[in-house]
Amino acid sequence: MFAGEDSMEFVEKRLIERAKRGDREAFAELIEIYKDKIFQLAYRMVGNRQEAEDIAQETFLRVFANLHTYDDQYKFSTWIYRIATNLCIDRGRKKKPDFSLDEEIEQGEGLDWYSRLSSKEQTPEEKVVTQELQETVQDALSQLAPKYRSIMILRYIEDLSLQEISDILKLPITTIKTRIHRGREALRGRLRFM
Amino acid sequence: MECREMAGRIHEFLDGDLDEYNNQLLQQHLRTCDRCYRHMRELQRAIAFVQSASHIHVPADFTDRVLAKLPAPTKSFRFANWLRKHPMIAAAAVFLLLMTGSISASWFERNPVIQVASANLDKLKIDHSRNVVIVPAGTKIDGDIVVRNGSVEVQGEVTGNVVAIEGKVFLASTAQVAGNTEEIEAIFEWIWYELKNIGNDLLPATP
Repeated sequence: MFAGEDSMEFVEKRLIERAKRGDREAFAELIEIYKDKIFQLAYRMVGNRQEAEDIAQETFLRVFANLHTYDDQYKFSTWIYRIATNLCIDRGRKKKPDFSLDEEIEQGEGLDWYSRLSSKEQTPEEKVVTQELQETVQDALSQLAPKYRSIMILRYIEDLSLQEISDILKLPITTIKTRIHRGREALRGRLRFM
Repeated sequence: MECREMAGRIHEFLDGDLDEYNNQLLQQHLRTCDRCYRHMRELQRAIAFVQSASHIHVPADFTDRVLAKLPAPTKSFRFANWLRKHPMIAAAAVFLLLMTGSISASWFERNPVIQVASANLDKLKIDHSRNVVIVPAGTKIDGDIVVRNGSVEVQGEVTGNVVAIEGKVFLASTAQVAGNTEEIEAIFEWIWYELKNIGNDLLPATP
């Protein structure tokens, strides 16, 4: 596994070097590697498919525009996750005042859409359970304050280490741990009766 | 052990930070304390629920749409990139550029005075009034004769080519030319001639 990660990083480094010189094919390959991870993060942060797609797109446009500032002493994934997380949090801040019922409906549609995709071989009963679970999880996440939500998503959906989350958010690891503890407690409170 | 203290250990356990000693304390406590056991189970279930959240995917055309939104590449970059993708064409282009550079330079730098290039200049006669280089009858010139801004009149023998640039090649009845005779008048022909020469130089198998 470690060898795999190393060679992955090597491939990535080559792609980044080429993309820095303006090579679009290399950049397209970088998008392919990260598109679902970034989309997933954005979707779990904003709970809306269309908006998540916009954020993911914006993330890659910013990555392209700022490639020359990327310092390859750090992991590329750390950098791209940081850009995406900041965009999600900024978006949330701007959105709050005009949060409308329409968006809640869209949120439901989004959940419906992906649970349909992910549950091809389930019985109808299982489907309903899965969909309910999905909605409940998304709901529990969306009730967390963004600074907790982002960390819980990075830890348990993106499956990142505490160290990497600390690098992404530029916060000390002790802060990350405290927030994870609180985030876990909050989720426990909301998912206890499932 | 107090449950309050245990809550901290439970989180450390979930983060994989608990050492063996504290792990033992926690496990012992969980065996006897229902409340903490339930707390731990609920936290683990909450994590499992979040982890089970379906992984969703972007639409298939996502990458293309991002690429379409990138700022247009600069012309110089597009050219450089195109060259990078076609290394043979790039090499040919550089070659041609250099060659036309030196060839046209040699074309434009010429002066109207008659110029002769030959290995046996001493055997040649030059008639300045007619602007003609003469290979007298009975003489034998080794190699090529190239005359610029003038004509060549061959009465004797030439073992190579006879070329007149901006001039004519006259062959007398006694002339013997082993190679070709050529008259070059236009710049394109000149370039063509130079390129042919390069080709001949590059190809070693000329009999």
